[in-house]
Amino acid sequence: MSETLKIRNIKGRIEKIEDILSSVAAGDKDARIASKTEDDFTGIESAIDLLIDDLTDELKNREKIQKELQDKLDKIQEQQKTIIQQQEELMELSSPVTKVWDNILILPVIGTLDSQRTQIMMENLLNKIVATGCTISILDITGVLTVDTQVANHLLKTVTSARLLGAECIISGISPAIAQTIVHLGIDLTSIRTKATLQDAMIYAMDQNKQRVYKKNKEIFYPDEKVE
Amino acid sequence: MKKWNEKIDLSLQEKRIPIIKIGDYLIVSIQIDMHDKLAIQLQSQILEEIAKTGARGVLIDISVLEMVDSFIGRMLSGMASMASIMDAAVVIVGMQPAVAITLVELGLEMPGVDTALNMEKGMEMLEKRLGNENQNFYKT
Amino acid sequence: MTDLTVENNWDRVASYEIQTENDIVTARQYIRYHAKQIAMGIVDQTRITTASSELFRNMYQYAGGGMVYVDIGNYSGHQALIITCVDSGPGIENVELAMHDGYSSGSGMGYGLPGAKRLVNEFSIESEVNKGTKVRVIKWI
Repeated sequence: MSETLKIRNIKGRIEKIEDILSSVAAGDKDARIASKTEDDFTGIESAIDLLIDDLTDELKNREKIQKELQDKLDKIQEQQKTIIQQQEELMELSSPVTKVWDNILILPVIGTLDSQRTQIMMENLLNKIVATGCTISILDITGVLTVDTQVANHLLKTVTSARLLGAECIISGISPAIAQTIVHLGIDLTSIRTKATLQDAMIYAMDQNKQRVYKKNKEIFYPDEKVE
Repeated sequence: MKKWNEKIDLSLQEKRIPIIKIGDYLIVSIQIDMHDKLAIQLQSQILEEIAKTGARGVLIDISVLEMVDSFIGRMLSGMASMASIMDAAVVIVGMQPAVAITLVELGLEMPGVDTALNMEKGMEMLEKRLGNENQNFYKT
Repeated sequence: MTDLTVENNWDRVASYEIQTENDIVTARQYIRYHAKQIAMGIVDQTRITTASSELFRNMYQYAGGGMVYVDIGNYSGHQALIITCVDSGPGIENVELAMHDGYSSGSGMGYGLPGAKRLVNEFSIESEVNKGTKVRVIKWI
């Protein structure tokens, strides 16, 4: 049995298929045969176009997923950098003891306190007390949420050591959780002075210094200055 | 070796830590690492001086001491108690931070012992304490 | 004492005899020197020197003297100073009791052991009545 095929311009159309397939292989995702002729060969041309559609869809999908993953990876790396930078900034911030007023030192603490960091803080503060001769220091732990018993012990050690040196160390900004930890340690609480906020501690400290702030005409004068 | 040790031991016992009187106060500057006998000797010496001079205050300068162990720590707090019985106030001056930390960790918190950062502040403390007493005396 | 030194590959850097009160002072000054040798921080130097002073005094007061061995080496991955005090004194009858704060021996003063223990990283004690006592303390950086 012989069949008769009606195909027009077969050579040209085969060449076109070869071209389109090469283009797709080369990366052209939009290449399609798009035959306008209706005959027995059209079926194959359409099938090839559909195959190319599926293939390029898959490719586009894969590219999209890859890009999303890369974006996520970049974001994570950026966040890591930020975290490391913040950690370094925190370490710097937590160490400096600042003399903010005559005879008063302030050590503001931020972030998490571990045993090692607290010990370093303690030594820094005590050394600064001796170096500056300030008899009042404020250890502000408003930024610290919780401490373990070791760290709480170190904090209390700081207060007692300061007293042995001849100075007073006030702890301000104790969170409820830390208050619980301290009480559980069974420490004699009359030996440590605490204030709710840094401001309260400053007011107490300045009072200790017997500095009185006078307000006159909205200006502030100090006892040393002549008040007219 | 033992003979040599004995010789050194004797010379150390002969060592005395100088006690200086300035006004109403005695000033003791401990410059050496004391062995136990010397520490006890110093304690007696200071009390004798208080009795002899009628001093009302004693400033003990330990700014040179790099170590204060339990024995010396107890000597210092004992000193403060004994002196107060003789109506003299003792102020320990110039403790080094490492010494303070170690004493606290040893469990020697020396409650009731007055301390000051330096000689100047120590004197201020004594002036204030004795000044207050004089005021109270004259209050009707 | 040499057994543990060799076993752990430590260096025996010095040994001191405690016979007089002056020896206590000299030896503790040497301890600070050794602590500086391994670049120990100032506060830790003071801690180990103070702890040593307590131990040396014990040896002198209760055993009439003894030997101090100083090793430097690696302990648990740290560079450490190991100080071992050995005496042939009367020994401690109840070591556990002696390790409690507030314990005082006959003369009214405790052995100062709990305090010394707090100042160091590792503390070990062996004692046998009428035989002697051995105390080892380790401070690392």
